[in-house]
Amino acid sequence: MTLIDVIFWFFAAVTLGSAAVVVFSRNIIYSAFALLFTFFGVAGFYVLLGADFIAITQLLIYVGGILVLLVFGVMLTNKVVSVDIKSGTLNAGVAMVVVSLTAGTIAGIFYATEWKTAPAEMLQPTTAGELGTMMMTSYLLPFEVASVVLLVALIGAAMVSRRDRSKQEAA
Amino acid sequence: MLPHILESAKLFYPELALTIAFCFVILAGLVTRNRIFTGLAGMAGVLAALYFVSVQAPVDGTAFSDMLAVDGFSRFFKIVILAATFIVQLFSLQSAELKSRAMGTAEYNALLTALALGMCLMAGASNMLMMYLALELTSITSYLLAGYTREAEDSAEAALKYVIYGAVASGMMLYGISIVYGLTGALDIYSVNQALGSGQVNLWTLILAGILITVGFGYKISAVPFHFWTPDVYEGAPVTITALLSVASKAAGFAMMIRFFRVTFADLIMGGQETGAWAMLGGFEWNEVLAVLAVLSMTLGNLVALWQNNLKRLLAYSSIAHAGYMLLGVVTMSPEGVSAVMIYFVVYLFMNLGAFYVVMLVADKTGSEEMSAYAGLGQRSPFIGVAMTIFLLSLTGIPPTAGFVGKLYIFSALIGAKMIGLVVIGALNSVVSLYYYVRILKNMFLKDAAPGGAVFGLSVPEVAMLLLLLVPTLLLGLYFGPLVEYAQASVSIFGIPR
Repeated sequence: MTLIDVIFWFFAAVTLGSAAVVVFSRNIIYSAFALLFTFFGVAGFYVLLGADFIAITQLLIYVGGILVLLVFGVMLTNKVVSVDIKSGTLNAGVAMVVVSLTAGTIAGIFYATEWKTAPAEMLQPTTAGELGTMMMTSYLLPFEVASVVLLVALIGAAMVSRRDRSKQEAA
Repeated sequence: MLPHILESAKLFYPELALTIAFCFVILAGLVTRNRIFTGLAGMAGVLAALYFVSVQAPVDGTAFSDMLAVDGFSRFFKIVILAATFIVQLFSLQSAELKSRAMGTAEYNALLTALALGMCLMAGASNMLMMYLALELTSITSYLLAGYTREAEDSAEAALKYVIYGAVASGMMLYGISIVYGLTGALDIYSVNQALGSGQVNLWTLILAGILITVGFGYKISAVPFHFWTPDVYEGAPVTITALLSVASKAAGFAMMIRFFRVTFADLIMGGQETGAWAMLGGFEWNEVLAVLAVLSMTLGNLVALWQNNLKRLLAYSSIAHAGYMLLGVVTMSPEGVSAVMIYFVVYLFMNLGAFYVVMLVADKTGSEEMSAYAGLGQRSPFIGVAMTIFLLSLTGIPPTAGFVGKLYIFSALIGAKMIGLVVIGALNSVVSLYYYVRILKNMFLKDAAPGGAVFGLSVPEVAMLLLLLVPTLLLGLYFGPLVEYAQASVSIFGIPR
């Protein structure tokens, strides 16, 4: 077992272990914090795969931004809303059978599959420059459409959450 | 690279017009709250896009490094999508339901253009990354529009259910796409096809990925068993949005699905078989999967519709059944089948939007979408009654309405492909559907109006709108030659030898 293998199994254990806590914890705050380690583990995989830029982005945006927002959201709403947020499980038995069958099938198929791989020598020392070039050339259209998707999501979030002032004045 | 991008931009005018209209309506909403103005601005954008699509040179090509295919097939579907959006924008100007919400009218109109943009991109996407992005743009916009009248409780519920089902479906589709990428190392469907053609790919993994991707398509066209969101969302969303989802978003889903199956899994080198059907790449008959979906959709949609008393729910199940009929056209895997689906969509556009328009008029005037609100409608408002009769007969597929022509071409494509069993199932289903459509007719003409059921007249714009939908529904039933010719000329998909 090489050093790379050890690191891989370490990150795999971190990711899967914390993901299990996210799903099974009854306290939603624990779940939110456990998600931190899941994202961190995934960032580790990106580094191992030589995707340095995506790894950093994962840390900055998911761990640093979205997750902090999520934890804040959970902690604030937990206190404000008197209703308990349900995080229990329903139909555990049936779900267990279905999930293990699905997972078994997928794992079996994946194990038998020959994935298309590129030789490790093709790894670039850094990917940021090439990513930037590709976003502005062959992936220009998805890049621009993604900005429209984000704009729609922003406008929609404002539309859904904003109070209808005219209704309040009338009341 | 720059000349290529500039060259591509020329093929991208329709989508550019929609994007500009989207931004313009948002900005206009900061200045004015006038719902008519922002509505008209959105309509101008859609009309401009329609114009650019119709003047595009009839050549096949791709834009932006194979991200989008610009061909007869995508042009045809873009016209259907844009026409449906335009008609729904006209509905929206009249809808009383939308007026109840004072704020956010600019957002509503802007999101409609964004939805049209997403659906046009779906019709052309020839790269799986682009397919996913276009699907997400369409889905996110639809969630927001379905929950637009959020004061109404069922609207909020509809939006939430839609989000949950949509997230699961697009997650599964993305998983499938990632597996295909892992197998072939390519995202654009032409390279994927080449990699699959080399025969170095594990069949089971590919089947798994294909089924996962089919979940995404099935959700968008609301085929059984991915239909669970449909009745609730159709019932809870504003009628205008329900009408748009039932026609345009289904058309976009079909366009994307046909292109995906046609290019990715077909044997492009061998070309067609003797019957004109496509040869599929080794080992797995995808049309059998689609045939199962089609039969399930038709049967379940029609049978469950029998018990519905809410007109929007009834039309939701009817739209599931219609997705089944159209899937039959895809199952044939032949140019005749695809052009039959295209003909069906044009017909479906008019008759289904017409039925939803009548539901909207009745709901605006009586405040109810239940079957009981239609009792005695034939006496109270003869014109609406007659119009609804024609739309419903057309949905059943009775001559001389347009719906008959749609079904005729689907069934004759099936007979051409020697799939007689499916023709029988489809015809039996049409008989079942007659029962629940006629139930509405019975309510309108044979039942007396409930006491207090007011007689209501129609304003001039409402009559004009009804006629706009009614005339094509009848005309296309009698004089359908040009439509058929145009559809048959438009089946060219880029990269496919004819």
